[in-house]
Amino acid sequence: METTAQPQPTPSLSRTAMHVLLAIGPDDRHGYAIMAEVARITGGAVRLGPGAIYTTIRRLLDDGLIEESDDRPDPEMDDQRRRYYRLTAVGRAVAASEVRRLDGIVQAVRGWAFEGSG
Amino acid sequence: MNQPEASHERAYRGLLRLYPSEFRARFGDEMVQLFGDQLRDPRTRRVSSGPDGTAQIWIRTLSDLAVTAVSEHVREDRTMAHSLTEAPSIPTRALGALGVLGGVALVLAFIPNLPWIWDFVAVRLVLFNVGAIALGLAAYRAGALGSERSSVMVAGAMILANAWYLVMVIAGIGRPQFPEADPDFRLIGFYAGAAMWLTDAVFGYLIWRVGTLARWVGLALAVGSLFAFTGMDRLELVRGDLAWFWTPAALIGIGVNGLAWIALGIALATRRRAAVVPESVASGSLASESLAVVDSTLAGVAPVDGQPVIVER
Repeated sequence: METTAQPQPTPSLSRTAMHVLLAIGPDDRHGYAIMAEVARITGGAVRLGPGAIYTTIRRLLDDGLIEESDDRPDPEMDDQRRRYYRLTAVGRAVAASEVRRLDGIVQAVRGWAFEGSG
Repeated sequence: MNQPEASHERAYRGLLRLYPSEFRARFGDEMVQLFGDQLRDPRTRRVSSGPDGTAQIWIRTLSDLAVTAVSEHVREDRTMAHSLTEAPSIPTRALGALGVLGGVALVLAFIPNLPWIWDFVAVRLVLFNVGAIALGLAAYRAGALGSERSSVMVAGAMILANAWYLVMVIAGIGRPQFPEADPDFRLIGFYAGAAMWLTDAVFGYLIWRVGTLARWVGLALAVGSLFAFTGMDRLELVRGDLAWFWTPAALIGIGVNGLAWIALGIALATRRRAAVVPESVASGSLASESLAVVDSTLAGVAPVDGQPVIVER
């Protein structure tokens, strides 16, 4: 039997929180950019509304997984009223752990799940 | 911003009153801006422009608002809102299940066709007391009783009182009276019953006051236990002039107490709790490499049955 890497033993992340964390990724993003990125990385399967985005951002902020960024874009490039968010070190670690866990699932089922899918 | 967009944003800002005021004050402006961004960005519309696209955005936004406004109020009530959670441990689940069993045993007494014989009553009371003790331990383990000092005092007193009553029940097996009414036990049985109901009430009150777990169930437990206490014969409330009130009130109190144990047991056995990131994951060495992992993997995320999974590149 093919062996796979063991996932990191982290507590489970809620599905929406995982989407938002992965959407922020290595960049600083504001709410609308996060919403667009979630739609992009899920191929449009997940479309979060303003309420889902900001209730999740609130929890992630309270849990210390993201923080508000002080870096502001060029005023000519963006609206200065926007707030930008980025992953904290712990948030990055949790996101990476979640990605590894998903990757482990894919590795475990790759042998049959993608047969005939092109 | 053109006039129609401004009116849509005003309407959405008005709807934000459905969220708790603290949440609205913190994120309201950003949410309105995000809503407006959707209206201005044709990529977010299935129909590139026009009233159909706006209608779709409104439909999605209203359903999002209905769900998240309610959930935000519920979270505010629980004073818990975490993105990292973990399932209850096996011991906590077992203790919660024991509590449910105890509550069911108590509520069964209200079903008239079950045999009302002392041996069954003794079994029922044993299960009830064991269940209450289990829930005292589970609530303490779950941190549902606030500070360590108050947790130890209240859970400890409730557990000891229920254990005391349990001993009285076992000692009285085969006798025709409840421990608190048995003349051979003198006042010891009465004190055991009184301590049980009153510490149950304080335990429920503390769960309500702390508010992190099933707070309204805690309040029901407190009120139910107080009314159950008034049903003890030696208080003579159920034999006095107001017996017409106190007798049914005490019975209802016992029933509410049993139902509250059931609900509390279910909550303790099933509710996910806030978790912390393990030190090994949050350590600097792993954190420094994890940004690269997220960055390098995001491009490989693709939807499968609506869920993002990592695909081989």
